[in-house]
Amino acid sequence: MYKLLLCWRYLRTRYLALVCIVSVMLGVATLIVVNSVMGGFSTKLRQRLHGLLSDVVIEAHDYSGFSHPEQRMKLIRSDPFLASRIEAMAPTLEIFAMLQFDYQGYPIARPIRLIGIDPESRSQVGGFAEHLVLNRDKPTFQLSEQARKYNEWRNQSQRLPFQPEPGLPLAPGEKPLPEPPPSEEFKPEGAIVGYAIANTRRKTADDNGSHELRLLQPGDDVLITTLSGQKLQPVYARFAVCDYFRSEMSEYDSNYVFVPLDYLQQLRTMEDRVTSIQIRLRNEADSKAVVERLRTLFGDSVKVETWMDKQGPLLAAISIEKGILNLLLFMIIAVAGFGILAIFSMIVVEKTRDIGILKALGASNLGVLHIFLGYGLLLGLVGAILGTAAGVAITVYINEIERTLSALCGLEIFPRDVYYFDRIPTDIVTLHVLLINAGAVAIAVLFSVLPALRAALLHPVRALRFE
Amino acid sequence: MNADFPLLVARELHKAYRKHKIEVPVLTGLDLTVWAGEFLCVVGASGSGKSTLLHLLGTLDQPDRGTILLDGERIDQATPRRRDQLRNSTFGFIFQFYHLLPEFTALENVLMPQLIRTSLWGYFWQRRKLRQRAIELLERVGLGDRLHHRPRELSGGEMQRASIARALMSEPRILFADEPTGNLDELKGREIIDLLRDLNRQQGLTIIMVTHNMDLVAPSDRVVRLTKGKVEAAPPLQMVLPPDGETVSNKQPHHPLIDPRIDPLLRKAL
Repeated sequence: MYKLLLCWRYLRTRYLALVCIVSVMLGVATLIVVNSVMGGFSTKLRQRLHGLLSDVVIEAHDYSGFSHPEQRMKLIRSDPFLASRIEAMAPTLEIFAMLQFDYQGYPIARPIRLIGIDPESRSQVGGFAEHLVLNRDKPTFQLSEQARKYNEWRNQSQRLPFQPEPGLPLAPGEKPLPEPPPSEEFKPEGAIVGYAIANTRRKTADDNGSHELRLLQPGDDVLITTLSGQKLQPVYARFAVCDYFRSEMSEYDSNYVFVPLDYLQQLRTMEDRVTSIQIRLRNEADSKAVVERLRTLFGDSVKVETWMDKQGPLLAAISIEKGILNLLLFMIIAVAGFGILAIFSMIVVEKTRDIGILKALGASNLGVLHIFLGYGLLLGLVGAILGTAAGVAITVYINEIERTLSALCGLEIFPRDVYYFDRIPTDIVTLHVLLINAGAVAIAVLFSVLPALRAALLHPVRALRFE
Repeated sequence: MNADFPLLVARELHKAYRKHKIEVPVLTGLDLTVWAGEFLCVVGASGSGKSTLLHLLGTLDQPDRGTILLDGERIDQATPRRRDQLRNSTFGFIFQFYHLLPEFTALENVLMPQLIRTSLWGYFWQRRKLRQRAIELLERVGLGDRLHHRPRELSGGEMQRASIARALMSEPRILFADEPTGNLDELKGREIIDLLRDLNRQQGLTIIMVTHNMDLVAPSDRVVRLTKGKVEAAPPLQMVLPPDGETVSNKQPHHPLIDPRIDPLLRKAL
């Protein structure tokens, strides 16, 4: 009984102990905030990566692709195990290419990843239609009426109108030359262009902000050059921008250009060959089993991978980064632990006489040990609880805090355009919070063992005589 | 309580303090018998080993050699647990510097021995009774109106009274008082001694008091004088003469070495 009372009383009367509490609190709060923000970024990144990549991908080994995708899909659908687990499939053709266009007379060229898709089936697989800027509900390569007119106008204004040369006046009885048959006007196919290709950020004059500059309007022409056939000969075609792809993953937004699959196959003289089949599962948890099944089905002719296999190095890098950061941050709590050690040693010296009194009144060595261990535990607990409260509060209001701080120091702390996030993403994982708390309390107790032992082993007479 | 029965017996006590290989002998073969219900004054010059003797008898420290018996039970070599138990319930201590816990009120300080003894649950069930008893004790020592004052809000005399109440809380059989008036003026010191004497007379509480102030010794007390770590064979009578010059009876004849009632006990215990 007296142990609890003493712990509690010492906690309330020793202001030095507040320092311990504050140090534990700061450590716990920092860990929670950093973990939550990193977790938030990582979750968001995973979501986006996964959003763009289908659950499972059947891939060809090289750019020439594999033939008969329809038959392969039919084969998959006929397999009862796979059919029950697969929700949608989309054949795609992926190749590197060069994109050229004019912006106010300046030629601009960009290396891109050119992806041939069928918009309908690709939308079913997911990670496509929801990222489109204009036609989110019904993705299509058709130009909107306005875009088509704009395209026609641009092309007409660039071409000289046909005017028959003024010839000799017609001799009487001579028939005028027949009008040439109207040549079929070339209608460019639509292309969905990555948002970062079509738009660029420019710093404003005062260097404090930036504004967006649109390089490609819907209906603008782009020239795409890619490779065809076994000899990889360059081929090119004119497309008209019909939509933008904005996934908020800058790597994708600045590289991807989608064009109709059949047109790309034709352009590359590939017949029906594609480079991959994107598969969406009903339940992502089945992906391992599905991959196994597909591998037995197709053997080594194609590569079968989950989205995580494909993004393995990136995901691993994120998790390693988080692990190392956690380790480093835990050092903060360890530093708090040394603070506890120092302050506890001081408190034990200060309380030497009281320890002598307690022993004279019959308190055992173990009892005294318990008092100081309990004290450490209490400090750890109070610090951890306050730290958790502070950490969670900061995490929840991090955007408001960031805005206030930015306004106060006049510096943008979280430049939103770097990540395309409008808010700082956070993700508070209860398990992590609990682990951080447990670790902090354990460290507080661990570092109070030494002073507590010293207190417990004090000789009562010497303690009583301590000046 | 049987006044003819030796409550506490110390035989051949040796104690030395060591520092840097230099040994300072404090007690050198001390013999002492304490009878139940007596008021024993241990006097002697500074450094004669009075306090050390008190610490040894009160199990706060252990002798290098020798035997201490409480009711025939050997306590100098008892387990730490038993010694803690003895200090908690059988012995009461009051010190020169009061030694109250500064963070606790007078009432809590008095309750402390009980708090140490009982568990949280046990205290919860007995809390009314225990608090009542602590309040009664504080009233008994004249601190009924200062129950909730912290030690620093009390005067020296009041602190010593509180520490007496604390010592009485667990109904001890022996009260050890180490220079209880050493830090008080004469008047306050006299009040404290009177209080102790009342306790001895009215409740038959055995009190062993260490002091170097012979003015505090009453004619009825037994006086033991320590010199060079031993009990002097017989205290000089003039030291215990009361102011009005009456003669006093001295209870010294029961010397432990020759007392036939003690030796069988000792033999059994040894």
